[in-house]
Amino acid sequence: MKFEGWIFLILSWGLILGLTILCFQRVFLNKNKEDEK
Amino acid sequence: MAGSAIGLGNFLRFPAKAAANGGGAFMIPYFISLLLIGLPLMWIEWTLGRYGGGFGHGTAPGIFHSISAKNRFIKYFGVIGIFGPLIIFIYYTYVESWSLAYSFFALTGKYAELSDQASLKSFLSGFQGIERNQFFQGIGAAYTFFLITFVLNIWVIYRGIRGGIERLCKWAMPLLFFCAIILVVRVLTLGAPSSLHPDWNISNGLGFLWNPDFSALKSAKVWLEAAGQILFTLSVGIGVILTYASYLKKDEDVVLSGVTAASTNEVAEVVLGGSIIIPAAFVFFGPTEIKTIATSGTFNLGFVTMPLVFGQMPWAEIFGFVWFFLLFLAGITSSVSLAQPVIAFMEDEFDINRKKAVWIFGIVSFIFCHAAIFFLKNGVVDELDFWGGTFFLVLFATIEVVLFSWVFGIDRAWDEMHKGAELRIPKIYKFIIKYVTPLFLFFILGMWFFQEWLPIIFLEKVPFVNQPYILATRIVLLLFFMALVFLVKISWDKKKLTKGTEN
Repeated sequence: MKFEGWIFLILSWGLILGLTILCFQRVFLNKNKEDEK
Repeated sequence: MAGSAIGLGNFLRFPAKAAANGGGAFMIPYFISLLLIGLPLMWIEWTLGRYGGGFGHGTAPGIFHSISAKNRFIKYFGVIGIFGPLIIFIYYTYVESWSLAYSFFALTGKYAELSDQASLKSFLSGFQGIERNQFFQGIGAAYTFFLITFVLNIWVIYRGIRGGIERLCKWAMPLLFFCAIILVVRVLTLGAPSSLHPDWNISNGLGFLWNPDFSALKSAKVWLEAAGQILFTLSVGIGVILTYASYLKKDEDVVLSGVTAASTNEVAEVVLGGSIIIPAAFVFFGPTEIKTIATSGTFNLGFVTMPLVFGQMPWAEIFGFVWFFLLFLAGITSSVSLAQPVIAFMEDEFDINRKKAVWIFGIVSFIFCHAAIFFLKNGVVDELDFWGGTFFLVLFATIEVVLFSWVFGIDRAWDEMHKGAELRIPKIYKFIIKYVTPLFLFFILGMWFFQEWLPIIFLEKVPFVNQPYILATRIVLLLFFMALVFLVKISWDKKKLTKGTEN
């Protein structure tokens, strides 16, 4: 068995990690806004 | 919330399901299920929970009642949302205690000299009290670790959501990710440890999981397994998210909360969970053996194969400890959440204070945990897992999506979902939530009835000696379910009496 699914792996990891980072960024931004209020 | 979702399923169940269903063949149905049922159900549960919380209800019977107060029966569907997590808690705490025990065994080198599958299997059976052997003379060790784990769980739950569960997750989650990253780095730097099999290397191990196999899209079984894993891993269809979401304020962003919890869970499952067991087992056992190991059961993969894998590395004790401690952290952050719906039910519908509710929960669940401990060898844990962790999960998810999009109404539901939300869910999801998700779930249930209903009901796959135990388990579960239905009835009757009209 050869590893031919690099693109599949990179896309999946990239999407999941990217989405998580974006979500947490939003969560912390919202939290900061709340704290400022 | 991510603490609740990230559990044993991410690090044990996912690799076992993926490997048993052909690795790459599993991942396409898995991601499609995530988009078509996982994410929609996340949003549905967060929205329903927040909506019901506004009426003072934190569990499914009350939340469903608040959707349509005119319907007298709707609240009874919600009983599953209390029954399911309680059943899962009963066996989950016991399995969680194994990982605490094994992390202790790893550090003290108790299984360090065992170097083959058979002796590690025997070690596990001895520990579980299935057989008496040179390693264990009875169930004493397992029971001791169960008591420690159980008391720890109840202590955290007793301290409340903010002072107990949130505080636990605050230090346990970073520690869990830290442990997982250590193991991923170790596994991904294994190279090709066997000179006899240069093909058994880490790159091909990743290929086993990530080489896409489009032919698997035709297999109903793979779809069922993948969809079931998505429900299990995201903790949707259980009732826990409903309860947590009921504590939110009216304008808190449920869209963002749902995606954040789902994506964090997927990082733990796909990026970390998928990079530990499968590639490690692949480089030491090869592509054929890994499927056999995976189909022999989730516990074998975690408690038999992994100690063997770590045994072949330098610093086996440390890596073994990190692995089992990781499982323990994943387990405890989930199990404390499983208790929440039952406790919230007592608090909201019977006005019992939290501490008293935790005591009642602790005593009842402690008694029932003994069935999982002492009748494990008779298949009781598998039976509880089937009903609590599989069947009722799919059934409850189906009920939720139908109530949300058809009884509550998709337009009203869509507006409710977006209250306080900065992000807009793509419009296509309005169609998906109304038609695709329910159809997908009905398809899973239908396939299950078609393929499995009769053999399961008539105990065809259960060995003759175990049949009385399984039957007794089913009777107890049924009585338990009926007792919960009765409690819901009493609670609403009482409210009618005190308020004159239905709440």
